[in-house]
Amino acid sequence: MSAAGVKVELKPGAYKSGLKPVWCPGCGDFGVLNALYRAMAKLQIEPWNTVILSGIGCSSRLPGYVKTYGFNGVHGRALTLATGVKVARPELTVIAVGGDGDGLAIGGNHLIHSCRRNLDILYILMDNEIYGLTKGQVAPTTPTGDKTKSTYWGNPEPSVDPCELAISTGATWVARGFSGEMKGLTEMISAGLEHNGFSFLNVMSPCVTWRGDDQFKEMKAKVAQLPEDYDPSRRKNAVKYTREKDKITTGVLYEVEAPSLTDQLEDMKTRAMAGNGSQSTKEMLSSFYPSF
Amino acid sequence: MPTRDLTFAIVGSGGDGVITTGDMLAQTGASVGLHVMKVEAYGPQIRGGESSCTVRVSADPIYAQGDLVQVLVVFNWADFAQFRGEILAAPDAIVLYEEADDTPREEIDLGPETDDVRWVPVPFIELAKESAGTKLAKNIVTLGLLSELFMLPQEPLEQAIKGKFAKKKPEVLEANLKGFEAGKIHASKITEAASGKRMQYTAGEPMLLMSGNELSAVAALHAGCRFFAGYPITPSSEVLHLLSELMPKVGGYLVQTEDELSAIGAVIGGSFAGVKSMTATSGPGLALMTEMLGLASMAEIPAVIIDVQRGGPSTGLPTKSEQSDLWQALWGSHGDAPRVVLAPADVEDCFHATVAAFNIAEEAQVPVIVLSDQFIAQRRETLSMLTLDHEVTGRQVPSAGDLRDYKRYKETKSGISPMSWPGMKGGEYQTNGLEHTEDGSPTSMFLTHEKMNAKRYRKLRRVRDKYSFYRHYGAEKADVGIICWGSSKGPVKEAVLKANGRGERVAAFVPQLLYPFPFHEFQEFIKTVSEVIVVELSYSAQFYKYLQTFLELPEGHTYVYKRSGGKNLTVSEVEDKIQKVLEMSAMRREVLV
Repeated sequence: MSAAGVKVELKPGAYKSGLKPVWCPGCGDFGVLNALYRAMAKLQIEPWNTVILSGIGCSSRLPGYVKTYGFNGVHGRALTLATGVKVARPELTVIAVGGDGDGLAIGGNHLIHSCRRNLDILYILMDNEIYGLTKGQVAPTTPTGDKTKSTYWGNPEPSVDPCELAISTGATWVARGFSGEMKGLTEMISAGLEHNGFSFLNVMSPCVTWRGDDQFKEMKAKVAQLPEDYDPSRRKNAVKYTREKDKITTGVLYEVEAPSLTDQLEDMKTRAMAGNGSQSTKEMLSSFYPSF
Repeated sequence: MPTRDLTFAIVGSGGDGVITTGDMLAQTGASVGLHVMKVEAYGPQIRGGESSCTVRVSADPIYAQGDLVQVLVVFNWADFAQFRGEILAAPDAIVLYEEADDTPREEIDLGPETDDVRWVPVPFIELAKESAGTKLAKNIVTLGLLSELFMLPQEPLEQAIKGKFAKKKPEVLEANLKGFEAGKIHASKITEAASGKRMQYTAGEPMLLMSGNELSAVAALHAGCRFFAGYPITPSSEVLHLLSELMPKVGGYLVQTEDELSAIGAVIGGSFAGVKSMTATSGPGLALMTEMLGLASMAEIPAVIIDVQRGGPSTGLPTKSEQSDLWQALWGSHGDAPRVVLAPADVEDCFHATVAAFNIAEEAQVPVIVLSDQFIAQRRETLSMLTLDHEVTGRQVPSAGDLRDYKRYKETKSGISPMSWPGMKGGEYQTNGLEHTEDGSPTSMFLTHEKMNAKRYRKLRRVRDKYSFYRHYGAEKADVGIICWGSSKGPVKEAVLKANGRGERVAAFVPQLLYPFPFHEFQEFIKTVSEVIVVELSYSAQFYKYLQTFLELPEGHTYVYKRSGGKNLTVSEVEDKIQKVLEMSAMRREVLV
């Protein structure tokens, strides 16, 4: 609010922290960052009531570039930090971000349980199919057979589809985006922010350094849209667009309504406090007198 | 002759109702104002397996679990054998054992000195079947028997039985009351056995009966904690259990996370968001939290971690106490990661140490570890409501002026910078596990790293000056001074007071702030003693070695008594060491003369 009580409209530029990204020129994460600025401006999100949290990796540097409360934590634990922020302060807007190694390998367990809990946050996973910051090792989303720094003879393991994982473990809003599609990505981020519950956005975000100049072109060529009459409320519909080989279908694959963790905890609090109000220390201690 | 102090132990299998019996005994004592200490011990099995419950009841204040059991109830000698070396009978103990168990005496090891033990066979099963129609009632028979034999208050016991079976069918309650009567009647036939062991006391006001874990949970709420994240682990889970009930009642939130990594992460997140936050765990869980302990240290985020120690390493002895997480708590980290370590020394201390932990964490923006242990965390003892209060302080927040050009990690003399939290306009900043400048931006510059390390460590000075918790017992000037920490305090204090009672000059120093260490107070103490004994339950003597890293213990005059945990420290062990060192000291003096 300005002095006159008139709300000042926040433009995308108002969300820039002023810190210059350390990302390589051409990195897909720039697209995600710009889409995030735009989505926040679209929803007029108040920076001081917003927390963006991350783990470790190239994409995990993102919180530093947004003028909100930010937390660049440790590897794989963005969602644990976000759980604490959201549960302790349910009124805040909470966004977690990170890469495929951070979110699916070292932090995979937390992803599963954040989905299951329907934690009311937006989680943006920037997927470049490689470990960038540690210089080019195989990741959980690297296709089988690909040569990387740590798979000299080709990747011997199958990859995971993050959207399929999120759907199967209880996320209530699951979308796939492409960092080169600014308009669609902006819409998805703002829709994810508005959804009540765990919103999982997997963004294909090419790595020019470790996946080569062609990764962007290849991804772009594969990008496809969901059919006009697509119904995202059916799990079996969504699953058709996972584990795709020749396409990258973007859009909201899955969306259902269910009580979020915040809803459940608020309900619990109401039940616990019914009639009594808050208990004092003495009242709590008194229940430990012997009672027969 | 009557007595004012009795220690009971009841031993049987999981299904024998051993714990219920002990519970009811303890509740009864507390209800008439007696001092009570109750300790449970089990094998690691969930159902079945050996279990024991030891209850000390006294008309006078007590500081330790009784070393030697005066009244031993054994339902099954095979179960008792599992506690060999842990439950020791007093030389003149009364052993009330199941008549139907014909284990030969020579196969039973009651302890080192048991020549005058009174062996009293009792047909527990038969009495239960006859009176209540089921052998399940044998624990209730036991209560009747014990109350009549040792003059324990029967009225509250009967009330306890009624309370316990209130929700069952009326026949069940009636059967159990018959069992209680049958026990009393049987007792009247063997009254001689109890001579010299009948309790004499004056009934007083009821006392609280609580465990250290329960007190830690209530203390956290008293301190203003409104977010708890934890993962179940023995022997700390009672903190999680009680908070799951109480936290929503005070308007707070609790999450049982998927693992300890997530628990500490959520606590750091909650605290970053401006809410006082805590987790509770045991050694294996603390090991998993270690990386993010460094994050809290680096990002200067308050966090309270209760570590209820158990025997280790690895899975170790999950249900038994030890003092061997000390090094992990003090130094477990990569990098130079300041933290504060507090150690409650008894059950009541769990309240004060937990509130103090929040005060320190919030004031100095550091992680604080409360090193509790199974012995004080899970034993229940009587407490007075009057002493359970503690001042609560909070976090230094930025002023309007600070927010105009906010620097989260602003250089200050104390090292403490005002900390904003989400919702404060102008207080937005990025925090970081990376080294950072005053405004929170990442940097790898040596100069900034050196400056920020100094800032983070400087905060500890203030903690030491403001919170130099320690206790001093016994003589002002002493021939023997004992240094110990945590739950060892109980037996040490009792041994010191007993020695003082005999006119021996013995004292004890018990720091409750372990890091930063109350250095000056300790130096003063050392000046007043001739010989030093460090006492601890750590096989590798972690505490002694810790002291050695920064203190000069008197050369040639320092002794160490250390052993593994798994068995609680006893008063007689400590007395024995005091005597030995007193003798050494006397010999030394003779030489000097």
